[in-house]
Amino acid sequence: MLVLLISLFACSGEVATTPEPAPTEAPAKAAPETPEIDVDEMKDQAEKAALVPSPVETQKALEASGIDVQLATLIPKHKFDLEASDTDHAAVRSGVLLADVLLTVKTAETKQLVKRLSAVQKGMNQLNGGSDIDAVLEDIKERLQAEAVTRDDLLKELDELSGAVIPELEFNGQERVVPLIEAGSWLEGANLVARAVQKSGKTEAAEKLLKAPAVVDYFIEYVKTDGAEKAPEAVTKKLEESLLELKGLAEKTEPLTKEDIDRVVEVTNAVLALL
Amino acid sequence: MRTLFASLLLGTSLYAPAAMADESEASSCLRTKVWDGYGDGWAIRTMTSTELDAGKTRSYLVSLYADNEYRINTCADAGAANLDVLIYDTEGNIVVRDETTDREPMIDFTPKASGTYYVVVYLREAAEGAEKAGVAMAVVYR
Repeated sequence: MLVLLISLFACSGEVATTPEPAPTEAPAKAAPETPEIDVDEMKDQAEKAALVPSPVETQKALEASGIDVQLATLIPKHKFDLEASDTDHAAVRSGVLLADVLLTVKTAETKQLVKRLSAVQKGMNQLNGGSDIDAVLEDIKERLQAEAVTRDDLLKELDELSGAVIPELEFNGQERVVPLIEAGSWLEGANLVARAVQKSGKTEAAEKLLKAPAVVDYFIEYVKTDGAEKAPEAVTKKLEESLLELKGLAEKTEPLTKEDIDRVVEVTNAVLALL
Repeated sequence: MRTLFASLLLGTSLYAPAAMADESEASSCLRTKVWDGYGDGWAIRTMTSTELDAGKTRSYLVSLYADNEYRINTCADAGAANLDVLIYDTEGNIVVRDETTDREPMIDFTPKASGTYYVVVYLREAAEGAEKAGVAMAVVYR
């Protein structure tokens, strides 16, 4: 009413003598209980830091599918060229080795585990991971050899190294390195899982173990060589071809067949053979 | 934000400008929770951290396996009064959310089908006098 009277006075041409009410701060708008999510924006802006499953997580999923095969027992004796230090080669190879370390940390002989850790350490140095990661890996190896760490504790440390520390390293500003390390680990996991499915004969389990189009898309984004100024390295080229084929299988609407599983083994083997 | 977890594990101060101090507090809190979880069979997939303005969200794309148990652990620093964490499906439907009003919410989720989901952390309410908070998030499984 007061506002209305003031308005009327103002309109009458007379000078309003009532002082303007002091501006009051609007009450802060409480954030809604549920965030206002724009689905397209959420998809566009989502970070990928938590996208890729760990190899040990894949082992759990295998067991949950009723396949009683330990992936660690399927790891072949890789003949990697540890001197190949170009970025893509070293990153993918280090990812594969990291997967092997994680899958065998509780069962491998100390000598074998130290050998694999040394290979990861060499890869980190080739990728300019920095002196801190080198020192951590050296320390882990020393404690392992001195039996100064339990395998349970070592698993925690290596999980953290793989899932939190390495993804945070800068690698001298080379953005491709972390996704390529993850691609190497995932590729090794996919190869072992496909072979476990083959071995068990439970082809239907592949549906929930091998169809991960978002993961494959993420790797392709970094591996893509279209428009690259220089010719891609052999590993990169083969990795891209393999991922594109895995993407096709992951996007199949029909269930994966025995032939599809065989193909996963073939295309992942083709990349692993180049490392 | 890179190097925080690396600093914690490596025991170094790789990166310690004032602007990141809050994230360090959140990361340290989260690391303790995650390590404690190993006693109950949980293991780490990822730990990461960020800074959130009041009322804002950060989303993370995750690929989850059917029948694996997942837990999303979070910690926010003293800049947060109420942090929320939710999981959305790819259509934007909420699959699971926390119902707490603290700054260390946690949710458990066992997907019936393997697939892609979005973990969303939401700074629903900043602490009095604060406009943003350091937030750390981990995906663990068993």
